[in-house]
Amino acid sequence: MKHSVNRPPTPDAAEDQGKEPTLQEIINIKLIESGEKERLMELLRERLIDCGWKDEMKALCRAHVKKKGRTNVTVDDLVHLITPKGRASVPDSVKAELLQRIRTFLMSAAL
Amino acid sequence: MCARNSIYTNPKPCKHLADYKLRHGFNTYDSIRNCLKTTPNGRTRVAKHTTKIPRCSFCDRYQGRLYFCLMCSSLWCPSHILLHAQSEKGHEVAIDMDRSELYCCLCCDQVYDPDFDKVVVCNQVKDLPGGSKSKTNSFEASGERSSKRKRLDSGIGLDLKKSELLVSMRDRRAKSCYPLGLRGLNNLGSTCFMNSVLQALLHAPPLRNYFLNDRHNSVQCRKRSGEKLCLLCDIDAISSAMFCGDRTPYTPAHFLYSWWQHSSNLASYEEQDAHEFFISVLDGIHEKESKIRNSGKDDGDCQCIAHRAFSGLLRSDVTCISCGFSSTTYDPCVDISLNMDTSNLSSSNANKPIKPDEKTSVSTLSGCLNLFTRAERLGSDQKLHCQNCQELRDSSKQLSIRRLPLVLCLHIKRVEHSLVRKISRKINQYMQFPFSLDMTPYLSSSIVRSKFGNRIFTFEYDNSNSSAAYEIFAVIAHSGMLESGHYVTYLRLKNQWYKCDDAWISEVDEGIVRASQCYMLFYVQKLLYNKANEDSSFVRISPRRDPFESTAGCS
Repeated sequence: MKHSVNRPPTPDAAEDQGKEPTLQEIINIKLIESGEKERLMELLRERLIDCGWKDEMKALCRAHVKKKGRTNVTVDDLVHLITPKGRASVPDSVKAELLQRIRTFLMSAAL
Repeated sequence: MCARNSIYTNPKPCKHLADYKLRHGFNTYDSIRNCLKTTPNGRTRVAKHTTKIPRCSFCDRYQGRLYFCLMCSSLWCPSHILLHAQSEKGHEVAIDMDRSELYCCLCCDQVYDPDFDKVVVCNQVKDLPGGSKSKTNSFEASGERSSKRKRLDSGIGLDLKKSELLVSMRDRRAKSCYPLGLRGLNNLGSTCFMNSVLQALLHAPPLRNYFLNDRHNSVQCRKRSGEKLCLLCDIDAISSAMFCGDRTPYTPAHFLYSWWQHSSNLASYEEQDAHEFFISVLDGIHEKESKIRNSGKDDGDCQCIAHRAFSGLLRSDVTCISCGFSSTTYDPCVDISLNMDTSNLSSSNANKPIKPDEKTSVSTLSGCLNLFTRAERLGSDQKLHCQNCQELRDSSKQLSIRRLPLVLCLHIKRVEHSLVRKISRKINQYMQFPFSLDMTPYLSSSIVRSKFGNRIFTFEYDNSNSSAAYEIFAVIAHSGMLESGHYVTYLRLKNQWYKCDDAWISEVDEGIVRASQCYMLFYVQKLLYNKANEDSSFVRISPRRDPFESTAGCS
């Protein structure tokens, strides 16, 4: 599958050359460095299991595999299938909780 | 650790993976050995770049899935990894960085290799606290006896056909009547809780065989113990009465009296809880046996019929959230009490546009079992002492079944206690249950294995026999309210369901059973079930009754 992507000037991603990191990237770096990202991911996984989201996604995948046949489905197919549905069906409460956690973190990291 | 996989069928490697392995021989996965990092929650990821944020070599993306090429250690996102594999020959195999799972770039699909999984699992075991220090880790059970008694087939040593006391003969009334052993029990004053459990116990294949083989001889028992009170003798008497061919309802008065002596705190004419009664009967049987044998053996090895039939082993893993150290304990059990899976059924998820075809609003037995074996994060007020961290830490606990019993009794907890209002309420919610049950996903081998991610590696104690397949044979259903309800038992004999409502026995359709409000479910290992349902009609020769005497009908 061809993508027309604008290649950045330094494809090897050498440090900070010619491109300022965006706010999003800075936050991401801070989250990873402090280990908070790992904790948030773990919390998110727990919440999504609790509310049945994981089971729903599993059921979607199973239904798809049943329809197409086990040998005709790849991981990429499944990811493309459930990503939009998955993103749309995350409960608001889960989103709110994680946002709150991130906000708290950012305040403590004094950004 | 063996690489041969018994239960799970190994997916075959794709052409590209097979070629890759051929080319690189023993060093296939060496490049990643030192790059694997295990987090406390058990996930292993590839962490080569400790300073930089991992990004796709083409588009700089750092979000979502990233793949690590085994040949050149470059990183790619799913959209661009195909380009890499197409442009560089031999770079077809990569690893999903977050999950440590193999990916074939040319097939664009996940692939599996037991050798790879072995590397990951070994690394994970080594990394987790307690892994390298001692041999006792998730693989081996610490403090467990190595003798694995296979209690599948004739483990109890009871074979119906070999017994001398039984005479195999055609039951002349077979066509028009119910199977032998089916007989109503009179209600002696709110004793339906007792009748329902007795019906289930007497038709549990191991117990049925035990009594029919005269394994508990009342005469010898009285001689040996000198006591007049013996629950087993009384159950033996009921069993004889059930199987003697007389269809008129039987009155288990002597048993009730004996049981009152044993559980005097429950002796009254009030309605009791069937599950509580069940436990107290097993307890009574065990007590008597251990008195006779004078042994203080723990439940795991006890040879009394109650334990031989019902005893299983539960495994509990408590994991420290901070460091990942986990400690394991084993506890014997005679049944499993399940909470109902009602929590994620209420539609509190407002924005769910698409629902799969599944019924997400019905409580199911598998849902309850999943809840039972789910890793539960213990509250902050329940911090436990972590041996590795040497202080109190938040932990998570997970239960699984280490050893399944011959007869599996599942108790559905239908009582809800409200601490605020200080009342108990019955949960009347319908729960769906299957007639054939596969307990494999709830075994310790499955639960523990899932901690390592998506692996096809065989663990040491994977049970390759089929003893996780169960068939239902009895259902105790409850109707009504907490204080004033009624119990009935549905029995499955030779694939026909019968309703045992105190003194009244009737044939029912399986739909009725499925729709009932189950309270206790009794499953037996499939092989035992099949054996018990073979067409071997027989009558126990009882000195008290002539089996050929015609009786007054069967309804």
